[in-house]
Amino acid sequence: MAENNVENLKKIREAVSQDLLGGRIDLLLGWEKGHYWWQSRPLFARTEEDLEKLTWDSFCAINLSRYLLDELKDFQKVGVLVKGCDARAFNRLLQDNMVVRDRVTLYGLPCPGMLDYDRLAEVAEAAPEGIIEQNGKVTIKTADGEKSADRDDLLADKCRDCIYPDPVVYDQLLLSPVGKKEAPEKFTAIEKLEEMSAEERYSYWEKELSRCLRCYACRQACPFCSCRECFVEQQNPRWQGRAYQASENFMFHLVRAYHGAGRCIDCGECERACPVDIPLQELNRKLTKDINQLYGDYEAGLDAELEPPLLTYRPDDPAAFSEK
Amino acid sequence: MSTAVNETSAGKEPLIVSFCCNWCSYAGGDLAGTSRMSYPANVKVIRVPCSGRINPMFILRAFQRGADGVLVAGCHPGDCHYSTGNYHGRRRLSAFKRLVEFAGFEPERFEVRWISSSEGDKFAEEMTAMTNKIKALGPNRKMRDARWQKIT
Repeated sequence: MAENNVENLKKIREAVSQDLLGGRIDLLLGWEKGHYWWQSRPLFARTEEDLEKLTWDSFCAINLSRYLLDELKDFQKVGVLVKGCDARAFNRLLQDNMVVRDRVTLYGLPCPGMLDYDRLAEVAEAAPEGIIEQNGKVTIKTADGEKSADRDDLLADKCRDCIYPDPVVYDQLLLSPVGKKEAPEKFTAIEKLEEMSAEERYSYWEKELSRCLRCYACRQACPFCSCRECFVEQQNPRWQGRAYQASENFMFHLVRAYHGAGRCIDCGECERACPVDIPLQELNRKLTKDINQLYGDYEAGLDAELEPPLLTYRPDDPAAFSEK
Repeated sequence: MSTAVNETSAGKEPLIVSFCCNWCSYAGGDLAGTSRMSYPANVKVIRVPCSGRINPMFILRAFQRGADGVLVAGCHPGDCHYSTGNYHGRRRLSAFKRLVEFAGFEPERFEVRWISSSEGDKFAEEMTAMTNKIKALGPNRKMRDARWQKIT
């Protein structure tokens, strides 16, 4: 993306400024550079000056569709830049009746996958100070010199398993499509866990979840967690205790994952947002794997018209318990 | 109620919480009673309108506060008083059962059974079988909330 980055950004800015300044949208959700060069944070653009901050680089991992929940309260028409995962997230919200299709303009951005600072640092074996991208290669600049690596090896975790880099829903496609990627073995980690004994699995989760700060960033970033009142904040009944102990950690994480059963679009935002690296995707994918196996293949977010598997039934459904 | 739950589990006898649907399984339990069939007193029945009413948080809460096993009992598929409640319940609880097993619970700790109102004998049998299985497994310590444990 880097070599024609400037051109791409110009194309994007042209298209959105026409709509924003022409009054077709009141607000544009995009990305701007954050405090560090390896951060791109959400941009809420309303004026021409705001649009100058717009950026499209290899660090725009944040899913913007989720911000629609708040912004649609204040603005009549909102434009959003959507990557593959953002578009599926939009379908998720649309299916949950949390957004109105007519009030949203989607600008599709086929996405080559986003890079991860930690991966850059790991490969460079020093603190990266900048990158140059060319023909699928990334040159990482550090204080000691330069190091080159394949772009694919530097992808963020959430992008590594992505098979839909092109938006599945959009009003305008601003860049040329990347094409469908090969399906990765995304259930390997889960199969490994399934082979463990119950005791081992419990200790594994007890250890992983013990890091949880209960900051609920996973929930805030997630397109399936769109309830106006979440169970963790309910006072009566107070499902989620505030104490920092295994029991409450399990309560939160099992219920959070379960609420995404058959609805999780596998965008990996929860894991990206998690400040303590809890493998939340493993819980989400376990549910996806089982539901697909029991009730037929279903990929959430691809088609807003298809009914999610837990909202429907067939009389001859199989069950996971010995009773038929 | 919470105190009672706690005291039972602190002893040697296991505690089994059984969510029974009002229309079939609870009536099945009634039939077991009026027919003088016996089943272990370890089972505490909580009546719910339908097996589709079961919120997975009920089950986790039971484990937190002292249950050693949880059994959900509902009408046979096709017999639901509300036509489709148990069909939905079957999908939801199947996914949930796999999830709690994935989190490290033994598969025996959480079960689902279909018991109709005429199956008093099945009700007694299933409750006995569940109690025996949990007795063999021993007390559940997973997800137990330490604050609800009786200090002995």
